[in-house]
Amino acid sequence: MATTLEPRTTPPPADAAPELGLEADAERAESRRGLLIGLPSLAYLVVFFALPLVIVVVYSFATRSRTGRTILGDWNLDSYARLFDPLVLEIALRSLWLALLTTLISLAFGYPFAYYLATRSPKVRGILLVLVMIPFWSNFLVRTYAWRVILGRDGPFVRLLEPILGTDVQLLFTPFAVVLGLVYGYMPFMILPLYATIERLDFSLVEAARDLYASGWQAFLKVTWPLSRPGVIAGSLLVFIPSFGAYVTPEILGGGRTTMLGSYIVRQFLSARDWPFGSALSVAVLLVMLAAAVVYLRSGGRNL
Amino acid sequence: MTEMLREPRVRTALAPDPVAESGTKLPAVAMQGVTKRFGGGRGGDPVVAVDDLHLDIRDGEFFSLLGPSGCGKTTSLRMIAGFEYPSAGSVRIFDQEVGLEPPNRRPVNTVFQSYALFPHMTVVQNIAFGLEMQKVPDDEIATRVGEVLELVQLSGQARRKPSQLSGGQQQRVALARALVNHPKVLLLDEPLGALDLKLRQAMQLELKRIQEQVGITFVYVTHDQEEALTMSDRIGVMNLGQLLQVGPPEAIYDTPRTRFVADFIGDTNLLSAEVVDADTARLTDGTVVRVATGRPVGATVTLAIRPEKLGLWHADAERDLRLDAVTGRIRRMTFLGNAIVYEIVTETSGTPVELTVRQGNTPGIEHFEPDERVRVRWWPTSTAALED
Repeated sequence: MATTLEPRTTPPPADAAPELGLEADAERAESRRGLLIGLPSLAYLVVFFALPLVIVVVYSFATRSRTGRTILGDWNLDSYARLFDPLVLEIALRSLWLALLTTLISLAFGYPFAYYLATRSPKVRGILLVLVMIPFWSNFLVRTYAWRVILGRDGPFVRLLEPILGTDVQLLFTPFAVVLGLVYGYMPFMILPLYATIERLDFSLVEAARDLYASGWQAFLKVTWPLSRPGVIAGSLLVFIPSFGAYVTPEILGGGRTTMLGSYIVRQFLSARDWPFGSALSVAVLLVMLAAAVVYLRSGGRNL
Repeated sequence: MTEMLREPRVRTALAPDPVAESGTKLPAVAMQGVTKRFGGGRGGDPVVAVDDLHLDIRDGEFFSLLGPSGCGKTTSLRMIAGFEYPSAGSVRIFDQEVGLEPPNRRPVNTVFQSYALFPHMTVVQNIAFGLEMQKVPDDEIATRVGEVLELVQLSGQARRKPSQLSGGQQQRVALARALVNHPKVLLLDEPLGALDLKLRQAMQLELKRIQEQVGITFVYVTHDQEEALTMSDRIGVMNLGQLLQVGPPEAIYDTPRTRFVADFIGDTNLLSAEVVDADTARLTDGTVVRVATGRPVGATVTLAIRPEKLGLWHADAERDLRLDAVTGRIRRMTFLGNAIVYEIVTETSGTPVELTVRQGNTPGIEHFEPDERVRVRWWPTSTAALED
């Protein structure tokens, strides 16, 4: 900066173009302003996200004392070794399976609805979008407890099914109840990205496919579906990730036999007081989710 | 000077009746009483996009539907393609009723305005799509795709994605994708609209060449009158959902039937006149001109004369009884490079007539200055009496 302000021996003509150095200065000032704008959120993320994450990672290498205290020092991989315990693997596989099932069911029901939504008039669209989001207006915990009543002994489903099947029907505290609760809870996360993708879709492409002798179904398979893949992947991840680490839903609707990873981790921190193992489990779950996110970014970029 | 204003050649358009001429051959597309209404479902008034359209498009011709946006030309095309179903009337393709058939059961293909190329497929995959859907054997698909790539001169770009192509190349892919199916009729919805002027002009000639080469009936929708005049065998001019006039470019340009057609295509002088008898009419300034009026004596009629059909002479030029003429003063002169445009106001008694005269900037042409007194002369056959 200083050099450009120094007096010159010959003053430049009044309409001379600014020198190149000034352009770089202007660009630096621009990027400084950008940093300033981003600073509050950056600070927030560091304090409340990055630091706790670091603590979790550090704890996962620590040792649990006999009384349940965490000894920082004497770093080891014992907690990670315990991840391969058959009980842990069973819970992990169950979580994976229930999360995948939840994702597939959400997709199967969410896609047609998102398509319907995206092809309505703006007015109808607005109403339907509000309906999709209305459940968020009340507490998730309360809504999950509502399912407990609906699926319970005296709930409408059991009362309806028992006379038909002639046997005792158990809905609550089954994997079915857990998946139902998860699908119910995370369906909007499937619908919204799908809607956003389908809504932007150029429907003249569908017309082109129909014009080129594709039936409605073929046009969907060859054009609409491949082009809505970014939304499918985004929605699937947004449902899969929280389902995989779900805690509230399996806890309330699942009962003891359908423990998922989320509940198991909580148990390590609270009742078992084994913070290093709980941390190692958390890191493992995080890595699975990270892998899923990488898959998403890869395929999202390749598609178009 | 009189050489500058040559007598127009006798119009052939008037001689044989176009419909009777093709009476032995089936029209490629026949639309009869086709109406399309949109909306009006929930108490709102329906919008009539196309109003009782009657149109025969001949086998093998390059037919353009020309009109401003919202005139119903695209809706008409979409009804031939099958993207819209007519509210009333019949659409036949080679005598086969298709009005309510879905697009995939019609022997026509479309080149879309925005090309509508599949972004997730390569050029070859795009072009092969229609053949695959028709379950054409693989080796035949390969041959036909290769042929059509050559036809549109894109053989080198076969493995690219549409996003890697220029606008002109995308346009060719869209054309190839439609032509490869050997449709009975090719529908084109303003396919050159997105291209810049130079490329558009090149593609106009290219399209015409391809059409002559493959011999398929082209139905071309455009709002660009120059494009329609350049390429078409016949033009149908539409406005407000109605087909106003159908004919070869010369007939549409030289003998417009309505005020809209005269005004929409090219520049024109619209002159108000009163019918004197079957062959003459009187302009508002009292000048009597020769024109086939086709109206009762005393009726008001609008006359249309193209600016370039008017000749400009000095006011004291000799009279030529074969020509009609008015005398006036130049109000304004505009130099356009290839032409000079004069605005002239007549000086005779009565309401002055305003005329625009366009003189080609050819060697030896006499230039006039503003305020100069001039005589404007034209061949009577240059004047058309409009119906409205």
